[in-house]
Order: sequence, then C-alpha cells, then structure tokens
Amino acid sequence: MSIDPAALDSPAWGGFDPARTRGQGLRDVWRSFVTAAQLGWRNEANWTDPILFFIYSVAKPLSSTLIFVVMIEVIGGAAAREFRGFVIVGTALWAFVVAGIAGLAWSILDDRERYAMLKYVVVSPSDFLTVLLGRGVARLAVGAMGAVITLAVGVVALGLPLEVGRIDWPLLSVVMVGGLSAVVAVGILLAAICIQTRQEAWSYPEAAAGALFLVTGAVFPLSVLPAPVQVVGWATPLTWWIEGVRLAVFPAAPSGIGGAGSAFAAFTGRLRPEPYEIVVALLATGALVALGAIVGFRVSVHRAKERGLLDQTTGS
Amino acid sequence: MSANPYVHRPTPGPQAAAAWTRRQIVMTNVRTVGGRAYPRVRGLAREKSWLFFEILLPFLTTSAFVFVYRALQAPPEYVGFVVLGGAMTAFWLNVIWMMASQLWWEKSQGNLELYFAAPMDIVAVLFGMAFGGMVMSSTRAVVVLVIATVLYGVTFSVAQWLLLVAVFMLTLAALYGLGMVLASLFLMWGREAYHLTQFLTEPIYFVSGLNFPIARLGLLGALAISVLPLAVGLDAMRQLAFADAAYPGGTPPPEIEALILVVMTVVFLGIARWMLRTLERLARREGRLSIRWQ
Repeated sequence: MSIDPAALDSPAWGGFDPARTRGQGLRDVWRSFVTAAQLGWRNEANWTDPILFFIYSVAKPLSSTLIFVVMIEVIGGAAAREFRGFVIVGTALWAFVVAGIAGLAWSILDDRERYAMLKYVVVSPSDFLTVLLGRGVARLAVGAMGAVITLAVGVVALGLPLEVGRIDWPLLSVVMVGGLSAVVAVGILLAAICIQTRQEAWSYPEAAAGALFLVTGAVFPLSVLPAPVQVVGWATPLTWWIEGVRLAVFPAAPSGIGGAGSAFAAFTGRLRPEPYEIVVALLATGALVALGAIVGFRVSVHRAKERGLLDQTTGS
Repeated sequence: MSANPYVHRPTPGPQAAAAWTRRQIVMTNVRTVGGRAYPRVRGLAREKSWLFFEILLPFLTTSAFVFVYRALQAPPEYVGFVVLGGAMTAFWLNVIWMMASQLWWEKSQGNLELYFAAPMDIVAVLFGMAFGGMVMSSTRAVVVLVIATVLYGVTFSVAQWLLLVAVFMLTLAALYGLGMVLASLFLMWGREAYHLTQFLTEPIYFVSGLNFPIARLGLLGALAISVLPLAVGLDAMRQLAFADAAYPGGTPPPEIEALILVVMTVVFLGIARWMLRTLERLARREGRLSIRWQ
C-alpha cells in the first residue's frame, strides 16, 4: 500500500494533530495483522519451491502419525484397530498445537536473536500483540496443512472409517474455534515467557508441547495415567478440544477423557463426557488460559521495556 | 626490551614462519579438537536451563510412547525398546542441531570466516564438536535412561556386555561421521539448512524404528539399516540389551550390524573429509562463508 508523503506533513495550521497518534482503529489493526501474516508466510515459505515446502511441512506430522500407527500394528489385536483412529486424530490435531505454540514463541526469538528486529517492531505504531498474532497465523496455516494431510492419509491409506454424513458439524465447528483459540492463547503465553528468557529459549515451546502432550489424551487415553494427573488434564482446554473433535468426527472412537477405570468415570459414573460438557469445559478453560495469556503478555512486554530485554540478544 | 611474547618461533621471514613442521601441524589440530570440545563439555553445567530442557524434552517424549504401549497392553520389553530409543534421541538431536547445523550457525553469526582463516584443519574443528557433543549427549542420555528405567520398571537382560558397549561406541562414531557429512553440506546452504534440520527429526525417528522394532518396516527398515547409523545401532543394541525377549526377526544379528557400523564410520568420515575440502573451496569461490545481510 503506497503512502502519500504529503500526508505525513504537519497540518496546514502548523501544530500537532493528536488524531494521527490514535490511528484508524480497527482498520489499522487489520492492516497490521495482514501485513504481519504476509511477512510470516514469506518467512516460512519463500526459502524453497512450493512442492518442496509442502513436503517439508507435511513430513513431520505424517511421520509422527506413522510412528504411532506402526506401534499399534506391532501390538495388533481388535483393541489396537480401534485405537488407530484415536491416535490419527490426536496426532493430526497436535500438528496445530506444535505449530501454534512454536509459531508465536519463535516469532519473538527469530526477531530478537536472528534478525535483531524485535525492538523496532515493538516501537512501531502497530499493536505488538496484533503483529505477533499475524506472524503466528502463518505457522498455524502450515500446521493446518499437516493436520489435513495426516487425516487424509489416515482415511485413504490407513482405512480410517470416516463417514461425512455422521459428522456432528455444529459440535466440530464450536470445538475447532474454541480449540484453535486456546492453542493461540497458549502460544501467546509462551511468547510472553520467551521475551523474558535468556539462553536456549528455542526449546521452551517444544518442552511445553511435550508436557501438554502427556496430559491431554492426544495419543493415549488419560485413564492410563494416575488420577491426579488426569485431573490436571481436565484443566487444559486442549484435552477438551481433542475430545470434542474425536466425538464430532468419529463418534465410535474411544474417549480420551473417560473410559473404564478413568477418573472421569469414577467422578461422574459415565464412560465419556457429553457434547455439552465438552463445549462448556473447553470454553471455560480456554477463557481462563486466554485471559492469563493476554495479561501475562502485557506484563511481560512492559517488564521487557523497563529492563531493556527487547534488544538483548543472547547468541542462543 | 624483551623478545616479542607473541612470536612462538623466531624465523627469518613470513614464508619461513608459514612453513610448519608435521609436529606443529598435529599439535595445533589436537589443540583445536580440545578447544572446540571445551565449550560443550564445560557448558554442560554452565547453563542450568539447558540441562533441564535437554533432559526433560526427550524424557517427556519417551514417556508419551511408554503410555501408548501401556494403553495397548504391550509386552513389557516394548517399554524397554522405547526407553532405549528415547535415550538415543539425545545423540541424534545433538548430531543434527550441534553438528550438522553448527557451521551454518557459525556462518549466521559471522564466525565461519574466522574458522577458515585460522591455521587449523576444519576437520579438527568438527572432531572437537563431535567429541564435546558426545560427552554432552551421553550425560543426558544416561539420565533419561536411568530415570525412565526406574520409573517405568524396565528390566534389561544383557548376555554380551562387551559387544553391547562396542556397538554403542560404533553407533556414536557412525552417527557423528554422518553429522560431519551433513555439516559440510549445510556449509553451502542458507535457510534450507534450518528447515532440513527440522525435517530430519520425526521422519528419521520413524524410519529408524525409534519406538518399535525396525523389522516391522520391511523393505524400508532394511534400507534404513543400510544407511542410517541410528537404525542399525539401535536394532543391534535392542537385540543385545533384551536378549531374552521375543524380538521380531528379520534383521541381521548384532555382530553383522556391528560390522555395518564399522563400514558406515569409515565411509562417512571419508566422505566428510572430501566434502569439506570440496565445499570449502566452493564456498570460498562463491562467497558463501558469510551471510549477505550481515
């Protein structure tokens, strides 16, 4: 978008126009977001040709899924066949989680450590959080690509019993919106932490994703974990998101939260949560995480400005 | 006035100073190995967060795979296979992030030109990185192995300790040899290097049979055994560490796999040496020793 240099001059009466510092509200926010998203996408994708980029993007989530599929095949049995769909959905959705969390946190680290641009981004008139979300959207798009391909391979090549007519679309829509918002919120929280950290902050997103992987029932039912750890899993919006998507897409798949011997079954007397419970729990835990993320991010940026952390490269 | 302390060996002129004896060359390269290994060995305890995350990351991932096998009610030795694979990930991650990518990082930070300008062999630098990386990763692998073994009740059954240790050492030698080959390739690349490093994690875990016996992959597994040190080394170690378990057949016995590792080590080191020489020449000629925007 071209800028008319004459528009940057002082007003005709020669004074200071405070309206200029206020910007144009939502229009400016949208423009910042779109520009940041374009920058993020180019940063992610323009290092090679589209085909190679596509292969690189889907290889990681697809390989993760295949690892679990082969593990299931090695053990075999009827329960294992049932478990296959459970794992494919979990690993496909996890591509979003890794991309969402790492995308936002690594945007901070990339701009600070590699390009030394973070301080300039922060002092620019654009809202920093909006810019960060824009940058993160690009990686989220890459994650979405991996997730879709993983599911497609699961259905086409691995015989996942997907029946489009049986999909609960309203539930799927609600939990996808809630779940992706929760992923972004966790990413913002990690970004807030990465602004404060020194060496080796690159591994924080993966460590966080690894820890969440264990308590969200992504690839195994929570019932195999000790009861207190299962309860920790209930406090995570990602657990309810994955459960909701499974229930919406594969209603017959085993529950990640419930099941025989689970803390959920002991607490409620039922083997799996109802759709409305999933939605309520997802929205409640998601709202808490989002609130914590926004407050944490604002506090972190304020502290970083005060202590001069924005241009402090660590060489990591 | 005393003699200049910076002149190690007074010579009649610069040409004579540049003519080094074989002893000088060897000693400089030995010092290079020590100097490059030093920050990695000392760095083990310098940055506490590294210790936490380098142990925590592989441990969390390993735990997830353990729970999947538990959910499937798999035989107990499968938990052992996963724990052994989880410990070996520390070495693979070290090879791809701190060997293969290292020269690329150095290029990004502007150090690579200094490496090539210094009077030492770049292969000695890579040996130093490999030695330091082995020490660094070994401590992490041992911690993951011990914690996971205790926590998940893994029982090892080793009949041939000597062969197991030999296979482990050969696996490391072949792995770091492969790391040197990749490092020389990455010397020529820009951002592709970073993305290739990302690419070399999960797909390699899959084809190496990190969490399941590689024989289950059939032809793909056989190919991996002939190319990837992680695949062949892990398979041999599993056969040796769980000697009384019902291990799926289809892969060579550990003695043959040890020989494969010897061949891999020799081939990778030879290729790495040749590639470093060739690519260094190309990088100098094409001006790729530094990144344009610096």
